Amino acid sequence: MKRETDYGYAIKPVYTPADVAGLDYEKDLGHPGSFPYTRGYHESGYRTRMWTQRMTAGLGSSKQANGVLKKYREMGQRGGMCVISDRVFSHCIDPDHPLGRKEAGVLGWPGCSLLEFEELMDGIPLTGQSITLLGSSAPTVMRLAYVVALAHKRGIDPSEIHGSVMESPFENYFGQTDVQPFDLNLKLWLDASEYVVRNKIRMRSSVISQHFQESGGNNAQAVAVVLSMYKELCGKLVRERGLDFDDAALVPYELVSIGTRFFEEIAKVRALRRMWARIARDEFKAKTEKACQMLIAVHTSGRTMTYQQPLNNIARCAIQSLAGAMVGCTAMDNATMDNAYAEPSALAARMSLNTQHIVAHETGVADVVDPLAGSYFVEALTNEVEQEATKILNKIDELGGLIAAIDKGYIQEMLRDEANKKFIEMDKKDRLIVGVNHLEIPPEEDFEIPIQKLHPGDSEAIAERMAKWKPTRDQDLLKARIQQLYTDAQKGDRFNLMPSIVEAVEAYATSGEVIGTIRKARGLNYDPFNVIECPFALH
Amino acid sequence: MQAGNGIKVIVTMIGLDGHTTGGEVVAMILRDAGFEVVYLGVNQTPRMIIDAAIQEDVDVIGISSHASNYGQIEELVDLARANGLDDMLIVVGGNIPREPAQHLLAKGVHKIFLPGSSGATIVEYLSTEARGARKSAPATRRSGAGNADQGRM
Ligand code: B12
Repeated sequence: MKRETDYGYAIKPVYTPADVAGLDYEKDLGHPGSFPYTRGYHESGYRTRMWTQRMTAGLGSSKQANGVLKKYREMGQRGGMCVISDRVFSHCIDPDHPLGRKEAGVLGWPGCSLLEFEELMDGIPLTGQSITLLGSSAPTVMRLAYVVALAHKRGIDPSEIHGSVMESPFENYFGQTDVQPFDLNLKLWLDASEYVVRNKIRMRSSVISQHFQESGGNNAQAVAVVLSMYKELCGKLVRERGLDFDDAALVPYELVSIGTRFFEEIAKVRALRRMWARIARDEFKAKTEKACQMLIAVHTSGRTMTYQQPLNNIARCAIQSLAGAMVGCTAMDNATMDNAYAEPSALAARMSLNTQHIVAHETGVADVVDPLAGSYFVEALTNEVEQEATKILNKIDELGGLIAAIDKGYIQEMLRDEANKKFIEMDKKDRLIVGVNHLEIPPEEDFEIPIQKLHPGDSEAIAERMAKWKPTRDQDLLKARIQQLYTDAQKGDRFNLMPSIVEAVEAYATSGEVIGTIRKARGLNYDPFNVIECPFALH
Repeated sequence: MQAGNGIKVIVTMIGLDGHTTGGEVVAMILRDAGFEVVYLGVNQTPRMIIDAAIQEDVDVIGISSHASNYGQIEELVDLARANGLDDMLIVVGGNIPREPAQHLLAKGVHKIFLPGSSGATIVEYLSTEARGARKSAPATRRSGAGNADQGRM
């Protein structure tokens, strides 16, 4: 059995004041609400604002996902909604694409047109709750355009909507993949981010360590990687798009993956807040407090959820939710007990949501800010994860920043080695996982939980609906808007395409059509899979 | 002699599934055990995988599956048959609930490796059941359709 942190630092049997010698309360921790925000951003923590307790929806058709969202609202999820897209929308092809047909609506919401978004949001308010749309990076501009377009239709000023619908182009390297090239995703991300800032729309972008960590990265690496993403992306918004850093810094939010290494998870988030605050102030010369405060939501780790003895996952989820609550997060979503099987069943979703409510209302943890501050162990771990992350961050800086580090393969190699190491540690029983390599039982004796069933016919139905609906759109309007987009997309990387994308989306152009048109303007094939032809005569 | 000697294995994702960690870990396990691994990566259609299997003359097709797109795995099995690859060992690993796992086995997938499968289980199975293993050791037991391995260590 290894007694070391997941990034390989030895753990001692006991921690004493000697382990935190030199820790300066004002300078290194700060009172909650004070720089460097190690202890969080609010003096009275959750008493000011409880974290948003949310479950992710999205499966089958948009109408079905709408039903689930309504159900979640009934179950007490009022602060925000969260929908994740299917693999088809994530890649920005359409359900009626030959490859889309087989997977539309299978792993998420098939949100390939404004029509789908209208159905998803039927009877659900755009304001008064946060709107979070997840998936990969490529559909970022589509998701933003839907929100703006639906707001227009409902007579709402888009600046009254808040949430997060953008996703960083880096996630493509960390498992949340799409088929679009990095430079295209980066350009579109910058367009969307600049657009929300200039139009005062309170939309954030996920720029997150969760995908990296769920892909097998360790805690220190996750901290370094997310900070380097922030530096790279905020830097570009300032240098290339002329935004004020204090505005640019409000675009990203971090989703941190909380696993079962209880104290290390808590230390990680505390270190992250402190490190960003210092980078924002010292490197970017932030003028406002807000720009120094990394907004952090929590995802309890799916990777720790086992196939074997799935009820054990309820215990894991509870421990992780407790850690997530202790770090002082703005929102939390949980992996469910059936995570290693399929999309969450209604039962599993309710269990997880209730786990959060139990943590929030029954444990008393929400009454006190940063309850573990001052613990010799936790403060020592906070320093150590910062120390290790700083080393990695310096290395990334040395290589020329995250994009350069990725070009050189450094990040991918680091992640692959770490994922392999994690597996070997488990295989050799250096790390024990109950039910998997410790205290196993024969499968016949295992308790069978209900599993969300697939309806393979759904994909075909979604595809057929789209194929039949496409010709019913106002073709002249659609063609004109697509042509405009094509023309604009040839005006260079810094020409912001958001306005013409919103107009195309309002004419019900689909994700495959919008991104395909932009691809074509950039000299790429219309279809990233090179199976279908461009349906428009563009000039 | 290493377990995997002379055995050539495709490791690939299928369809729009982009979960690569499981496949990459398995590729590492197999390479370390002496197998020759042809790693195809993401965005592979059944047709592309079969073409690669023929071109590379592999002994095993290993699909890493985390996206419930089982229809495409079935298509792959049919294509393998249609192309005369009757003795090709086809294995699948990943997040597969019991019901679809049984279904895939009935369809002709030889073995399912569930989450938590140990390196040793995977290496042992492939080294005894692969086409290449039978080529070099014809007396080896090939016990027909396998079952879902629970990954007990
Ligand atoms: C990590 C993870 C991710 C990472 C991806 C990391 C990466 N780079 O691959 C992130 C966070 C990015 C992610 C994203 C998504 N994920 Co995910 N993800 C997981 C998770 C938590 C773990 C998978 C994993 O990597 N495990 C570690 C590896 C080492 O284990 P393993 O894959 O099981 O492999 C072992 C065995 O299965 C077997 N094996 C596996 N492959 C092979 C191949 C061969 C040849 C052999 C012999 C054996 C073998 O041997 C391995 C060693 O024991 C699973 C749930 C879970 N708890 O397992 C969900 C899960 C697979 N994801 C899921 C979903 C839905 C998604 C998304 C589609 C969400 C969305 N709507 O956008 C995206 C899409 C990603 C994509 N690009 O396609 C679902 C799939 C549901 C389904 N099948 O119906 C799952 C099951 C979670 C859930 N219940 O919702 N995911």
